[in-house]
Amino acid sequence: MSIPVDLKYTKEHEWVRIEGDIATIGVTDHAQEALGDIVYVELPDMGGSFDAGAAFVVVESVKAVSDTYAPVAGEVVEINTLLEIEPEKVNTDPYGVGWLAKVKMSGETVELLSDDDYNTFLEE
Amino acid sequence: MSDSLKTPLYDEHVKLGGKMVPFAGYALPVQYQDGALKEYTAVREGEAGIFDITHMGQVRVTGSDALRFLQYVTTNDVSKLVDGQVQYSALLNEQGTFIDDITTYKVSDGAYYLCINAANRHKDVAHLQQEAVNFDVEVLDDSDDTTLLALQGAKAQAILQTLVGFDLEEIGYYKFSRGQVGKGWGMVSRTGYTGEDGFEIYLPKVSAVDIWNALIAQGAVPIGLAARDMLRTEMGYALYGHEISDAVTPVEARLMWITKLDKGDFIGKGAVEARKKLGGEKRLIALRLTGRGVPREHYQVFVDGVKSGEVTSGMHSPLAGGGIALAYVKPEHVTDGQLSVEIRGKQVDAERTSSPFVRSHVRK
Repeated sequence: MSIPVDLKYTKEHEWVRIEGDIATIGVTDHAQEALGDIVYVELPDMGGSFDAGAAFVVVESVKAVSDTYAPVAGEVVEINTLLEIEPEKVNTDPYGVGWLAKVKMSGETVELLSDDDYNTFLEE
Repeated sequence: MSDSLKTPLYDEHVKLGGKMVPFAGYALPVQYQDGALKEYTAVREGEAGIFDITHMGQVRVTGSDALRFLQYVTTNDVSKLVDGQVQYSALLNEQGTFIDDITTYKVSDGAYYLCINAANRHKDVAHLQQEAVNFDVEVLDDSDDTTLLALQGAKAQAILQTLVGFDLEEIGYYKFSRGQVGKGWGMVSRTGYTGEDGFEIYLPKVSAVDIWNALIAQGAVPIGLAARDMLRTEMGYALYGHEISDAVTPVEARLMWITKLDKGDFIGKGAVEARKKLGGEKRLIALRLTGRGVPREHYQVFVDGVKSGEVTSGMHSPLAGGGIALAYVKPEHVTDGQLSVEIRGKQVDAERTSSPFVRSHVRK
């Protein structure tokens, strides 16, 4: 189970990389394994605004539809259109080329966990 | 899942990393470690996949009235079967709606097997035994003594031939043979639910583990329920509870081809004839999304912006390159009007297509 040390995590199994006021968001290795083979990703519209914790990207696996939730409030400034043709990248490289979207942060966030705290949370 | 039954292969599934789920009263693997897509690919593009379908039911029908009885309770023409032949068929009730879809195997005059859905086993057996009182026939539920495996894929015959004592090349599509399988006896039919060439293998329970492991040693990949559902959906094959149920007749479900109205009387015949005249209130079609998305069961289908019906089975098809679905629509929309499927509140355009959605490789 991979939990990179330089990222922040949420209890809904998203990860966040914060660089300045830009947050890159994805789902964790735990999440992609639980979801199974991902066949479709519904990315948000560019420019869309989200509150922290709001339903964000929809990830569909063979058998199920799953919501992810915006770890931070803000405006979508980039989406990973690669996932429109290769959704399986979320499974094979969830922290790298399987990123979902980038948000320009407006301030509010959900509870963000360190890698250690996320690991502890997973063990519970 | 403590009240789920176990097939003889339960421990093998667990050893292989199978994710066990309750299904039709049994604990079965929905997938193994590598996931449903890899399993699907192994069957479509690899050598072969092996499925534990022991949960399905088998009914033995014997007696001097066996043919007459089966002609009465099933929709297809049983008199067309020669010894060693199988036909796809259905059990209807008096309203002409489905009790189950089945396959009928003729061993010889006076001896037949029916293969029935796991979920309907007890219902089917009760119905058949009730109807049997008027015939010189014995109806026996053989399910608990039988293990059923499916071996499907391009190399299925080559793999299975190493274990059977009779020539599989001689078994044509929807034909079967009985003889030595492994160290014991078995019945092998060239049938299946995937659209690939392959076999269904009936074994006594004691042979199950040995044959399962021998097939895997020859290269067969274990396949779970999720991949099985993908494979049959791509073929447009009906699944009870989805395309067929006690709410539809063969008219709506496009199964008139197994419903022989000219064979003589059978349960449901009158109702089906009446429904055929009226046309029914809905009809099953095959559609593919032209936009992005995954159509799923119960998603609403619209025609020209007005609700027309709903999806019965749907999926993202890697081989078809997008979303495909079987769906019921109003009869007037079978050929006319712009289709769309509502996915999370948005209309995604779709077009009519034919099933199977991908190329079938069954040996005709």
